[in-house]
Amino acid sequence: MADVKLMIAGRPYDVHCADGEEAQLLQLAAVVDEKARGIQGGTEVRQLLFAALMLADDAQEAKGKVDKAEPQSDSLRAAVALAESREAAARDELRAAVVREQAALKELEVARSTAVAPSAPKPANDRALLQIADRIEALATKVEQIS
Amino acid sequence: MELDLDESSLAIGRIERALSRIEKALADQPKRSPPAIAAPATDQSALKAEVAAVIGELDRLIAEADRG
Repeated sequence: MADVKLMIAGRPYDVHCADGEEAQLLQLAAVVDEKARGIQGGTEVRQLLFAALMLADDAQEAKGKVDKAEPQSDSLRAAVALAESREAAARDELRAAVVREQAALKELEVARSTAVAPSAPKPANDRALLQIADRIEALATKVEQIS
Repeated sequence: MELDLDESSLAIGRIERALSRIEKALADQPKRSPPAIAAPATDQSALKAEVAAVIGELDRLIAEADRG
């Protein structure tokens, strides 16, 4: 046990506390002292009574704020969880789509390489391939921007 | 504009590189801290619609190439 000398409202008090808790006790005593000194006039007991009442009021107000904030933080947590799950689902869908596109591209390459008429790549198809390249590049830019 | 075979290969190369960029962006995403604000649902829907449209176009091209 440690001995601590507190000074509250100009009067010394000798108290004991567990070792290592001295600084905290002194800090709490300083809070009580500040409240007690703020009350002018009256007896010492009355000063301490008002200090205790003011501290109880502070405690009640703080508890009210915490109680009020809890439902808000619950709904925020739920909103964040929902947004995260939606984002994860969107990412999975996009990933699956990329896999499908790669498979489709491979098929396209195979189909091109096994085409019977080598001199007959259809211009319309080639234009479409060029447009697809443009669109997939634009998609890649969008995905990079939102990632 | 008409493409010859080499130019179509270039187009395929561009598609492959773009797909790699998408894969890399998706792979890198979980390593970063989550964004403060998620992408709006409308953006995601538009992105999905564009992905579906591109896949559909590729499917159509493959079907045409298969038919010769």
